[in-house]
Amino acid sequence: MEHYLIIARSITYAQRMQRALGKAGIRCRIFRAPRDLTSLGCAYAVELAPPDLTAALQIIHREHLDPVQIFLPQAGGMREVTP
Amino acid sequence: MIYLDSAATTFQKPPEVARAVAEAMRTMSSPGRGGYGAAMAAADTAFACRSELAELFHLDNPEQVVFTLNATHALNIAIKSLVPPGGRVVISGYEHNAVTRPLSALGAKTVVAAGPLFRQDAVLEAFNRLITPGTDAVICNHVSNVFGFVQPVEAIAAICRQRGVPFIIDASQSAGLLRLDMAALGAAFIAMPGHKGLYGPQGTGVLLCREGQQVKTLLEGGTGSLSLSQEMPDFLPDRLEAGTHNVPGIAGLLAGVRFLKKQGIETICHRERLLARQAAEGLRKLPGTRVFAQPRMTAQVGVLSFTAASRDAETIGGALGQREIAVRSGLHCAPLAHRTAGTLDTGTVRLSFSHWNTAGEVERFLEAMREILP
Repeated sequence: MEHYLIIARSITYAQRMQRALGKAGIRCRIFRAPRDLTSLGCAYAVELAPPDLTAALQIIHREHLDPVQIFLPQAGGMREVTP
Repeated sequence: MIYLDSAATTFQKPPEVARAVAEAMRTMSSPGRGGYGAAMAAADTAFACRSELAELFHLDNPEQVVFTLNATHALNIAIKSLVPPGGRVVISGYEHNAVTRPLSALGAKTVVAAGPLFRQDAVLEAFNRLITPGTDAVICNHVSNVFGFVQPVEAIAAICRQRGVPFIIDASQSAGLLRLDMAALGAAFIAMPGHKGLYGPQGTGVLLCREGQQVKTLLEGGTGSLSLSQEMPDFLPDRLEAGTHNVPGIAGLLAGVRFLKKQGIETICHRERLLARQAAEGLRKLPGTRVFAQPRMTAQVGVLSFTAASRDAETIGGALGQREIAVRSGLHCAPLAHRTAGTLDTGTVRLSFSHWNTAGEVERFLEAMREILP
């Protein structure tokens, strides 16, 4: 299954996202953001299954963990959307 | 050895701390530096440690917990974030060189809010009088490293909040012994070692930062974030954590904090107070001793200083050392505290306790003192 990517400011913020989402029963994975997706240099991304995206964004916003970038899967690649 | 120098470092650590350090050295690399297992294990440990500390000290978010080398490092960040060169700072009369030397280096106008030993009311009155408009920061240790004097930081914090002056608390001797609520205090920073009352390894320290507090960097370098920028990140903890973390130390600190929570802060503090009282009562029976202790230790924790008319502090410390009893003698890197208490010329012998000390050890110390003092 294709996944959505939420780019966090740092590993600590990605971990906070993962913890907040985990408390809500949303499973996610932290990994290094692909270099071509972000202009930040080194970054971490939280990977989500598509059905969880809306709920996840609400939780992330409520926890003041606003993502730096969000990417949606698109045929052959990823497309950035406005957080 | 009977170790009575835990105000320097709690040399005796819980076994799980050493195990955690060894495990980290075997399995963890560096947080924020990769997505492979060893890097993520290091990141998970660092995050768990920040989270445990945030919970213990009532911070909203784990990123407000910054890892440092020690409390001195943490205090330097705090002081240099708030005090401009030549700035005005009000400090207590019991501060350590970790506070006074950075202030001296900044050329700060340092005003001392001094009060007699164990007189919280007098200390508070002095702070109330001296915290005036134009004060850049107030700095106070929670507990004196020389005398175990518990200073009234909650009331000082209230004055600072009321007057809009940022407050730095040096919790070097109180973290892990007395409750500290960052949210309630509203302090700008709380600095502490990881290797004393938190039972972590030497080489660990912590700076707690108020949410939104502006901080200045002491070091610049790699953080594993915003790598393309030549500016340090403007968010915590990355802004203050340049370079590779002390992962084994952080893993040990995490184990220490969990040990502390399991034992209970109040339990450990009560036990240390009992030992200090036992030592104080025994010392008072010896000829020519001057013991700096409150009878009921209401404003004192398990740190106890004394002098003896017939032997200087270093001689006593050396004689105890020959008997495998470890104490600290001299000025304890806190000449200001000795000046305030009137012991600058003599220094003191200091006993400081931890979870691991026993009443039997105190009795053996007193037996040694009976041999040493004529």
